[in-house]
Amino acid sequence: MGGWAGRILEIDLTTQTYKTEVLDTNIARLFVGGRGLGARLLWDLVGPEVDPLSPQNVLIFTNGPLTATGYQTSNRFSVSTKSPLTGTILDANGGGFWGMQFKKAGFDAMIIRGKSPQPVWLEIKGGAVTFHDATELWGKRVFEVTDQLGQNNHRRNVLCIGPAGENLSRIASIIVDRQRALARGGPGAVMGSKNLKAIVVEGTEKPKIEDQERFKFMLYESRKLLAASPLTSQALPEFGTAVLVNIMNTVGALATRNHQQVQFEKAEAISGEELTEKYLVKNEACWACPIACTRVSRTDKVQGEGPEFETIWAFGAQCGVDDLAAIIEANTLCNDLGMDTISAGSTIACAMELSEKGYLDSDLRFGRADLLAPTLEQMAYRRDLGAELADGSLRLATRYGHPELSMSVKGLEMPAYDPRGMQGQGLLYATSNRGGCHMRGNMVGIEVLGIPKLVDRFQVQGKASFVILHQNVSAAIDSLVLCKFTNLGVAEEYFARVLSAVTGMHYATGDLIRVGERVWNLERLYNLREGFTEKDDTLPPRLLNEAPDHGPSQGWVVHLEPMLKEYYRARGWDEHGVPLPRKLTELELDNLVKEILK
Amino acid sequence: MIDPQIYEKFRDIGRDLYVANMISSHGGNMSVCYGDRIIIKRRGAMLGNLKPHDLVETGLEKNDSGVALASTELIVHRAIYKATPALAIIHCHPRAAIAFSLSRDEIVPIDNEASYLLKKVPVVTEEFASGTPEMANKVANALKDYKIIMLRGHGSFAIGQTLDEAFFWSTVLEEACQIALYARIINEPFLEYRKMSDSYHKF
Repeated sequence: MGGWAGRILEIDLTTQTYKTEVLDTNIARLFVGGRGLGARLLWDLVGPEVDPLSPQNVLIFTNGPLTATGYQTSNRFSVSTKSPLTGTILDANGGGFWGMQFKKAGFDAMIIRGKSPQPVWLEIKGGAVTFHDATELWGKRVFEVTDQLGQNNHRRNVLCIGPAGENLSRIASIIVDRQRALARGGPGAVMGSKNLKAIVVEGTEKPKIEDQERFKFMLYESRKLLAASPLTSQALPEFGTAVLVNIMNTVGALATRNHQQVQFEKAEAISGEELTEKYLVKNEACWACPIACTRVSRTDKVQGEGPEFETIWAFGAQCGVDDLAAIIEANTLCNDLGMDTISAGSTIACAMELSEKGYLDSDLRFGRADLLAPTLEQMAYRRDLGAELADGSLRLATRYGHPELSMSVKGLEMPAYDPRGMQGQGLLYATSNRGGCHMRGNMVGIEVLGIPKLVDRFQVQGKASFVILHQNVSAAIDSLVLCKFTNLGVAEEYFARVLSAVTGMHYATGDLIRVGERVWNLERLYNLREGFTEKDDTLPPRLLNEAPDHGPSQGWVVHLEPMLKEYYRARGWDEHGVPLPRKLTELELDNLVKEILK
Repeated sequence: MIDPQIYEKFRDIGRDLYVANMISSHGGNMSVCYGDRIIIKRRGAMLGNLKPHDLVETGLEKNDSGVALASTELIVHRAIYKATPALAIIHCHPRAAIAFSLSRDEIVPIDNEASYLLKKVPVVTEEFASGTPEMANKVANALKDYKIIMLRGHGSFAIGQTLDEAFFWSTVLEEACQIALYARIINEPFLEYRKMSDSYHKF
């Protein structure tokens, strides 16, 4: 069987021991890898009794059968855990080089349990794990730690946390290869709670490919498709993801000032065009990626990777800030501190609105670019007001009596796309298993960009099916694990063929999407087991009740109720959003969840 | 009640299919699926001239009064939705493609666009090529691995997320077959210009 390494590494930080287990081939077939494999393993290991920041929670790092094969964007890896921010199941994935190296180290997954008695960092090399004392690294920032541990993109790769993770900020990220983030939902805090500062990998084993000839053909055809798409061959390389700033603003779906508006009057000043013209040093690429969307930007004060569209939005439009240099600096600082830029920016925006309305006594105001960096520093070290912002907008807004001002779903801050201008996106956010997230099947493709073909973004009837399909495809891609940008040029049918060529097992397009559906349903079951209900499948009241008074989305709120009803039915769930036995049998999940079915 | 946006899409694409000579006056059909519901052309309606009442909604699996009005190919559409991730289906009668389907088990385009987009289109055979369970199964099975297939001597079935997408695959196939036809008329040696085209048969 090609693709999979066939081994899972299990590490116990409490006892500082490790062992290797065999990957169950049936689990591999059903859940593939990445997010899917992580969810399946987490289901058995972490139940509702476990506090996310306790030693009983686990971190599960996974790659997929395509990882390190050389297929376009086969560099990514994933981490799964219970989120300290939301309490939901969580996965976050990142690109760069670490994931490729991890696969070449000979493992499909790595489960980390327990808590080290003192700060520790791990070195994985030649199939062995070495536990190193990290006392001297503790307290240091990401860039310094990464450099000190010998980061080398093609030989030795470093993943670590910064001060935010050490201080258990619930929006702390894990940073990989110096400036790439497994950002959302607070996995950095879980790592910090285990006294685990860093993981370094070196690998030499190449994955086996069963049908080399077919693989080469798919590689060639995928390269052609990516080259032919203006999005993947021109827009992303030239402007990065920030190309979306002007696009989303034009259609009236760029959330602004904590979602009080849907267009930012100064969007041009923070656009991808502006970033490229004034601040771009060069673009870079992850391993085996022909798209090369990574920005390296420079201001008078910093040089670093990014910022991505969501970051520009979070510190820009969402905070009413039009100073792109300050946004770039906030992004670099966030990476160095190890904090999720979306949650950080949106939490600051929430504090700005609380302050402007007189609910919170602070200097934060929309447009105050000068306060971004100092506030981020306070958050990472839990100093002053930062101590209250460090755990995200919902805890902050609730503390000050106005939870409705947190622009989050299930406690996770939503990204840039304002769903009043994209009805499907609203349903997508409301039903996302890890909370408000655009990486769970972003509808920007079908509602704005026309990929594969454009549908009316205000259409309500039938939207649920698009959302479901895109959620399933997204979960499948996350289980491979590939970059979603590949899917902007290459349809999922190609991924199924590549998976078949690599593993030697036949996956039709529908089989691969069914993997995604299985993963989605298991994640749903996990959240139900944690006590989440249909009441959590909702949006901030602002998006349901306050329509923009001008612009292309004028008069629109999210029509969630009819879409949600249609969604549950189309998912094969009951009216309360619980998967029906028939659906679970169809997805081969029935044995796993007998207790829930009782 | 069917959303006006959905009707307008059916109307426009139906008209385009007729104008493009890909159906006869009352031939062809199309549908979209959402959840456990299907919206499909009414039996006997003219795709090129659809009115709002020409769209019928019924169950994906469960029958209701809608089946009395639905296209005779409903059984095929249902089988396809159950077997594939399709959200839209177009069945039409592209003439050049039908002509090629009479003598081939697969159509491998020679033009650049269709080579790039389709690589290969399988041809399946069923004697009673209209609305039978046997046909439904064969077509649905073939569409598990391909976005468009030909039913020998009858027509094409294309799937997509949207009707636009399925329409696109349908027109790409017919264009490819017309080009192949012209190339045959010209009858000069084919100069291969595509790398790895020998792998198209394996796609």
